[in-house]
Amino acid sequence: MPGTVTDDELRADVRDWLAVHWDPSLPRREWLSLVVAARWAVPGWPEQWGGRGLPAEQARLVEEEFGQAGAPGSGQDRLNLWANTALAFGEPEFQATFIPALLRGELEMCLLYSEPGAGSDLAGLRTRADRDGDQYIVNGQKVWTSGAATADYGMLVARTNWDVPKHRGISFFFCPMKQPGVEVRPLRQITDESHFNEVFLTDVIVPAVNRLGAENEGWRVLQTALAYERSTMGENARGPRSAGPGAGASHEVDLVELARAAGVLDDPAIRQDIARVSALRALNALNVARAKADLGLGTSSPVMSLGKLAMSRILHEGARVQTAILAAATLLEGPDYPRAEDANFLTLNAYFTSIGGGTDQIQRNIIAERVLGMPREPEVDRDIPFREVRGG
Amino acid sequence: VTTIAAEELTALHDSVGGLLARRGTEADVRAAMETPSGYDPALWQELAALGIAGLIVPAQYGGSGAGPAELEAVMEEAGAALLCAPLLGSSVLAAALLAAVGDDGAAAALLPSIADGSGLVAVAITGTGGRWTPDGVQVTATEFAGRWTLDGVADYVIHGQNAGTLLVAARDGAGITWFTVAPQDAAVTPLPTFDHTLRLARVRLAAAPARPLGERGGGWAAAEQALDVARVALAGEQAGGARRSLDLTIGYSKTRIQFGRPIGSFQALKHMAADLLLEAESAISAARDAARELADEAPGARQAVDLAAFACADAFTTVTAASVQMHGGIAFTWEHPAHLYLRRARADAQLLGTPAFYRERYVQQLGG
Repeated sequence: MPGTVTDDELRADVRDWLAVHWDPSLPRREWLSLVVAARWAVPGWPEQWGGRGLPAEQARLVEEEFGQAGAPGSGQDRLNLWANTALAFGEPEFQATFIPALLRGELEMCLLYSEPGAGSDLAGLRTRADRDGDQYIVNGQKVWTSGAATADYGMLVARTNWDVPKHRGISFFFCPMKQPGVEVRPLRQITDESHFNEVFLTDVIVPAVNRLGAENEGWRVLQTALAYERSTMGENARGPRSAGPGAGASHEVDLVELARAAGVLDDPAIRQDIARVSALRALNALNVARAKADLGLGTSSPVMSLGKLAMSRILHEGARVQTAILAAATLLEGPDYPRAEDANFLTLNAYFTSIGGGTDQIQRNIIAERVLGMPREPEVDRDIPFREVRGG
Repeated sequence: VTTIAAEELTALHDSVGGLLARRGTEADVRAAMETPSGYDPALWQELAALGIAGLIVPAQYGGSGAGPAELEAVMEEAGAALLCAPLLGSSVLAAALLAAVGDDGAAAALLPSIADGSGLVAVAITGTGGRWTPDGVQVTATEFAGRWTLDGVADYVIHGQNAGTLLVAARDGAGITWFTVAPQDAAVTPLPTFDHTLRLARVRLAAAPARPLGERGGGWAAAEQALDVARVALAGEQAGGARRSLDLTIGYSKTRIQFGRPIGSFQALKHMAADLLLEAESAISAARDAARELADEAPGARQAVDLAAFACADAFTTVTAASVQMHGGIAFTWEHPAHLYLRRARADAQLLGTPAFYRERYVQQLGG
């Protein structure tokens, strides 16, 4: 019953329940089933979908209690991208099947958004979905998909109408991945790792009931899904759009110690560089704290949108200074040269943040237009049928 | 430990910002900067009436008794408007120093007039080397028959030519000690400043009669305390100035038409603007954090102040330099205000110590 439980009662309920049920040795899916059945997975959702209809602040209390116990599975009303998208846009029949399975962690998921010809300009995608009775036939190529090899479903954007401007002919699907027309090829990255795949789609069959939102209105669904993703991005310190190389702030090298070990801590140029990079990190933390405080006061803060740009600069500058400290040692790589390996890896991996999830250049456009209100660039492809838009 | 509610700080922003929007316009700034004193006494009286001249002066001496957080908020507005006033030199540096040296007589004699705007006090620290460090002090103190006299040169004295009293740091046998000197006992020469909204003076002392303040030889600790308050104030001024300079630039980019469209629609300018927004907003975060840390006397206060000192200086110079470039030819004219901000930014980045100096101190705090 919404609004009828006090914060203290709620916390006590959660604690009591966890005290009885939480068992770290349980298999993950088994545990999640318990959490879902007890209505703790999505406490802020309506009861119809396994929630409790709690206000957002109380839903966060439940999540906090789970967090303190070290128990996973709550807070999915905020964090489960897939289930939130399904809840917002799915047909009832689709929701009944998919939402419980998603909350119980029974489905592996991936994202089928970017294409070789549609990176920064995602609305220029050319993967096609053609209606055929109660299903769609999908053909095209996707890229930067992590988890594609094991995924059961991918959230797919594909073109369903080529005779309207680019944003108006896109539809959004849950695409079954385990079928013959889906071919997954790992990509080898500049870091020599493989976190991502190319996905080739050839006559792939998607049931029409798996379409989220109306046909040709998938761009709006995508915007909502991207917003969910961005809103939780900072928390797992991952790059956006996919679970990639955890490039975020997790790896913060102690530059003072590195310089001391390398014998260059008394070099004034190095000292100034260390101060600059350390300051960038400290300033970003202060910006994040200020944005949170502003949100708490009910005002939005311009610093919110600056985080990704700031992080790219921190990572690139950090790697540059690490390299300056190690100097010729960075000529080498491999397990016998861990410091060089680290500096060299971070130098290349910084591009994960400055390109992935929208390049720094696109990010600057967004900040300039949405935060500073600078006029939009004229778009030559905005109001013409997509069929006539130049690709490549 | 005092925690200032966000609403109170917002109200302070609004009242000072509102006054300066009416009485501290660009025309007012240009008029004030052409006068010998460099400020408008009538506006200064209005600021005193608002409690700004005595913002950090304790209530027992007629001030507002506010702390670094309020000071930072006011200075953001002052920086945004390029306020021409003896705020930093007298109301911040001198007031903080008088509080720090712990000489009740001097406090009672000088602080009330600082607070009500009737008198100005200037602080002389560095010599011609321009270093706000103990080894920068070039004045020496001599005692003879119970009377002190000072000799030497103090440079870059903020609003020194307008002060009714000088506070001078001098070396005596014990270390560095603070003295009061009457301006008529010294040769106070106004200096031509690159930032026309700033007033600096050189103070030459030759057997100038002086009265010692506080503990003999312990003056640098007081100086450092006062400098921390002044650094926070300056950081606020820089952050506020950077954000306003950016806003003026963005505003212009929306109205200036070339190639049939506003120049702000070109990515060349948008990308600069986005980077500058990050600079300006980071400066605001740094200045406010330093103010809070100093107000709370937190263990990390020194580090926070040093960070704000160089981050805000760099942000202000970066934003204002780019502002001229982004405006184009109009900003190369004297009539356009962009250069006034650039001049203030370049001056602020040297007052009280250079960004490189504070970066070096910051690394030391990091354990380097």
